[in-house]
Parts: sequence; C-alpha cells; structure tokens
Amino acid sequence: MTSMHLLTLLLAVPAAAGLACLPLRSRRAMAGLNVLAFGVTLALGLGLLRRVLAGGPVTEGGGFLRADALSAWMVLLIAIVSLATALDAGRYFQRDLAAGVITPGRLREFFVLTPLFAAGMFLVVLADSLGVMWAAVEATALSSVLLVALYNRRTSLEGAWKYVMLGGLGLALALLGTVFIYAAACKNNPLPFPSFNWSHLMTVAPQLDPRLVRLAFVFALVGYGTKAGLAPMHTWLPDAHSEAPSPTSAMLSGVSLKIALYALLRFHILSSACLGAGFSRQLVLALGLLSLFLAAPFILVQDNLKRMLAYSSLEHIGVICVGIGLGTPLTIFGALLHMGYHALTKPVLFFAAGNLHQSYHTLEFRGIGHGVMVTLPVTALGLGLGAVAAAGLPPFGLFFSELTVIGGGIAAGQIAVSVLLLAALIACFGGLLLQLTRILPGQPKVARAHDGRAWDGVPAMGLLLGGLLLFSVWLPPPVLAVLHQAADIIGGRP
Amino acid sequence: MNPVISSDIAAQLIALLAVLMLVVQLLLVVQRMLLTSIRLFAVQSLFLAGIGGVVASFHGAVHVYVVVALTLAGKVLFLPWLLDRQVRRMRIVQEIEPLVNFPTSMLLCGGLTVLGYVVARPFTALERLGNNTLAVALTLVLTGFFLMINRRKAITQVLALLTVENGVMLAAVALTTYGMPLVVELCIFFDVLVGVIILGLLVYRIRETFASMDVSKLSQLKG
Repeated sequence: MTSMHLLTLLLAVPAAAGLACLPLRSRRAMAGLNVLAFGVTLALGLGLLRRVLAGGPVTEGGGFLRADALSAWMVLLIAIVSLATALDAGRYFQRDLAAGVITPGRLREFFVLTPLFAAGMFLVVLADSLGVMWAAVEATALSSVLLVALYNRRTSLEGAWKYVMLGGLGLALALLGTVFIYAAACKNNPLPFPSFNWSHLMTVAPQLDPRLVRLAFVFALVGYGTKAGLAPMHTWLPDAHSEAPSPTSAMLSGVSLKIALYALLRFHILSSACLGAGFSRQLVLALGLLSLFLAAPFILVQDNLKRMLAYSSLEHIGVICVGIGLGTPLTIFGALLHMGYHALTKPVLFFAAGNLHQSYHTLEFRGIGHGVMVTLPVTALGLGLGAVAAAGLPPFGLFFSELTVIGGGIAAGQIAVSVLLLAALIACFGGLLLQLTRILPGQPKVARAHDGRAWDGVPAMGLLLGGLLLFSVWLPPPVLAVLHQAADIIGGRP
Repeated sequence: MNPVISSDIAAQLIALLAVLMLVVQLLLVVQRMLLTSIRLFAVQSLFLAGIGGVVASFHGAVHVYVVVALTLAGKVLFLPWLLDRQVRRMRIVQEIEPLVNFPTSMLLCGGLTVLGYVVARPFTALERLGNNTLAVALTLVLTGFFLMINRRKAITQVLALLTVENGVMLAAVALTTYGMPLVVELCIFFDVLVGVIILGLLVYRIRETFASMDVSKLSQLKG
C-alpha cells in the first residue's frame, strides 16, 4: 500500500482528464471522461480516508503534499460534488447545445476547466506549504471564472468580472497574510529559507511573533473570507452563482466556498496554537453570525431562484463559521458534518434550478409561476426535497448538524449565540419554504407540453439525495472517526 | 558568499528603489493614457526586479536571481506587451474621467501613504534590509486598492490589481529578506501570468458584448 501515490494521483487524475478533453470533439466522450475521472478520484478519496484512519497523516513528494483527517474529509466532499456535477453536465449541456445557447467551443471549455478547477481544489487541501495553498486557491478562482462567464451573456460577464476582481483583491490580502506568516517563521531563524509547511509551523507555533501572527490571521480572514463568501465580503457570491451554468453553480456552492473556508481554517488553527484560541475564534464567530443575519432577509426578498439559493449558501457558510467559532468539540464536529450535508444538498437544488431554467427560460419566480409540480414533477420533487433539507427539517442531516451546533453552544454556556443562531435559522427556513410555495404547487397558468425531459438530472440528483438520506440516518464508522479526528485538529487537540 | 556591495549601500539602494516604486504608483494614479499606464507598471516592476537583484548580489542567493529573471521576463516584458497589444487592438486611448478627480486622488494617496507608515511602524524593527520598505509596500497595496475603485476601464483595474501584487511581493522582501521559497514564488508567478491572460480574455469578451470596456456599465445584477 505504501507504494501507492494516492495524493499525487488525486491531483493528476482530474488534471489529466481536463487536458485530455482538449482534443476531443464529442460531448458524450468529454462528459464520459469527466465522470470516469471523478469516479476514480472518489475511489482514491475513500482509499485516502482508510489510510489516514489507519496510519495518521499521509505525506508525499518529500512533504510537499500532506493529508490529515481534515484534508481527507475535504477530499471526499470535492470528489462527490464533482462526480455529481459531471453526471449532470452531460445532459444539461446537451440541451443547451440543442437550444443554441452555447457553442461547442464553450462546451469543451466547460469539460476542460471543470476537472482543472477540481484539481486546484484538491491541491488546496493537499498542499502542506501555506504559500502553495494560496497559489492553489488562486488557481481555483482563475479556472472557475471562465466557467462563470460561459454563457457570455451581459449579466454572466458582469458576474464573472465581479467574481474575479473581488476575488483577486481578497486573494491579494490573503497573500499578504501568507507573507506575514512566513515573516514570523523567518524571524529569529538562522536558516535563509525556513520551512513554509503548515505541519512544521504548527510545531514552532508558540515561538512565533504574536503580532505578526495576529496580523496574518486578520488578512487571511478578510482574504479567504472573501473567497468563502463570508459577509460583508459576499457581494460577488449571488452574482457569480446565479450567472454560472447550473453545474458550475453546484461546484461553486457545494465545495468551492468550503475550500476557501478550509484555507482560513488552517490559519485559524495556526493562530490558535500561537495566540490561544480566543482571538481568531471570536472573529470567525462574528462573521458567521453576520452572514446568517444578512442571508435571512435576502432569501425572503429574492425574485430569482438561483440568487436565493446563493443566499442560502451564505446562510450555511454562516452556520459552519458559528460552529467553528463556538470552538467546543461538539460544535466543531457539527460544523464539519454540516459542510458534508450541505455539499450533498445544495448541488441538488442547483441541478433542479438548471432544469427549470432550461424549461422556462427564466429563473424569476414570477416568470416561472405556479405549478412546477404539474409541469416537471421529477424536478419539482428534487427541488422540494432539497429545499426541505436545506431549510433544516428532519429527517435530513442538516437538521441534526444544526442541532449539534446549537446544542453544543448551549452546553458551552453560549446561550446568546445559540439563540441568535436559532433565530436566524428559523428566518431562513421560513424564507426558503415560503419562496418555493410561489412556484411548486398550484396549477400552471399556461399548459406546457411535456418536452420529454421529465427525468432530466435524475442520476445526479438521485446520487446526492440518496447519499444525503443514507448518511442522515446512518454515518459509517470510518466517516464518523475521520470527522472526530478533523474536529480534534481544528480544536487544537492533535 | 562574497557580497558584491556593502550592507549599508545595499540597504540604501533597496530603500531608494522602493521609494521609486511608490513614485511610479503615484504617477499611475494621475495617469489618464492607458498605454502610458501600462509602461509605468513595467517600470515599477523593473524597480521591484532591481530590489531583487540587490538582495541577490548582496547575499549571493542564487534562487533570488531566478525570481528576478522571472520578474523581468514576466512583469517587465511579457505582461506589458500583452496588455499593450490588447489596448491597441481595442483602439482605446485613454481612461474616462475617474470617480475622484486627480488633485483629490493625489491628496488621498498622500493620506494612504501616511497610513501605510503608521501601520508599518511596529514592524520596522523586523526588517532586515532597508528601512521604510515595508511601509512603502503597504502603501502600494493601499493605493492599488484606491486605483482600482477609482477607475472604470477594465484594463486599468487589471493594472491596479497587478500593482497590489507588486506591493505584496515587496512586503515579502522587506519582511523576510529573501522573499518566499522558490516553489512558492514560482506558483505565484504562474498564477499572475495565467490570471492576466484570463482577465485579458474576459476584458475582450466584455468589450465585444458591451461595445465598451467601462465596467460601470456592469450594473444589472443587484440585491
């Protein structure tokens, strides 16, 4: 087993698949290659999970790549969302192509860039050096911006421009934070190039200059926080998520936000080890609560389905940050679990929204009107179940993870935070379900002929919803173990 | 490890070059012609490469020479050439009126410079080479942000982002002497290169679709 280069393969397989799509012409072949590559990465991710559980952190390439329990968990999320996206993309773009909405060239762009985007995300979670991690986050931004602009409409170009400019500014600040951390590592170090590896920095964390570390964390918070869509730096998020093609929206919302959050978490763990947990925890908690309270009213007043879903992602990022910010083992565990459940839920909603968009040619609630349940029953079922899950109702997992965070908060004596969290969640819950009653039930005003696409998106939605239901009632012991280990890493109990 | 120049002179040279970078930045803030702006960015990158050269020859560090060579090839020659070509192809000569007029911009940037010095003050003792370099670096970042908010042409915003990046790289030199490990520098360099190419593509598509490069026209998405 030791001869297997798991981490290298995790990067190489999607990257190779992306490049291999360059000369291909057939949509079927490109989609098939994407599905195959992500299927392989999911298997590799499961292998990594086993190895991390069996023997602790895995390193490769002379310490260039490193995976601990936290990385292994993120790898699983990236792999499963990418796989579902690839499953959905084939038939989604077939329809766009037939409608003449995109050109074959743009289609190839999608199948080339999506695996590269995923490879970038894998590098973020597998790179040990904080500098390489930064570069990888930047690479995910660069590979996804053309995906956001894929439709080349006025609004999608606007969304892409805002995404790349705000992201660029944020990442410049994150780079400054990264430089400050390296400066702290260089200080009082006789070597010209001390190691920039996170795992090494953790061993010397107590000796680092606290002023530099504090500054570094603040810059990283603003920088990676922008990419993670944390309020008040979230303004690009609804634009990019609503204008991207639905499979890309699913990737952006399902994992890309969490990858940026992961980068921030590495800084959080490091600064907790140097400064004590209070400083970074309270900042993360404050931004998390702000995101939650900002999301609630915007969900309620949105007229556009995908923009509403984007604000719902803001809400869930807020829940995760509150869980991390509360900082007890239980709440951190809840936050990590929430990441997983959200990754399984949100893409379903975006896939369903994509179907609606293609059938109704609009995402405005008013334009869609009542009666989606009659016109597109399967899509409506996916949308409905996804929305019930995202709103945090049982039997879906998000209910349990949210309850874990709230309960953990109360147990830790953080009554005020828990009550605030609960209030925001109830507001978002009401908003989301109220909005969907505007389109799902009732009779359609215009009788629409069935266009023979009733079963569109079933494989992708089925895979994720099935996984969500299964893991909501039964968490496999290895997943539970890796979550506990990851929570220990974040909580500073290695 | 034979230093070519003495440590004192090296420090002064670095401080001088850093201040020259700041001067170029201020010229950029009040520059309306796009082609001149691109050249100013090239000159600023040249000064950054010069700082790297001083560090490399003073410490005899081979890896810094690599970074200098990359900066020269990428930021002094290739990127300005790329942007230049794009501007010519689009036949756009000058920036439209900025949001804040030039005298006021100059005053604001003076304020930002003071802010940069104030923020850098607690850390000047950490600098191993050259005084004020960190303060200049932070000022570059701040004025770069201002430049970005103040301008409406997409190309100028890209330039602003690049000057911010120059500032961050200067901060790396100021705080750590040698800059970051080679692999990190290579990754960052690659990202900046690819980033500008992609931004260029995007600008081109915006220009085609909107028949303009004025990003204030990108205002349909709200709420």
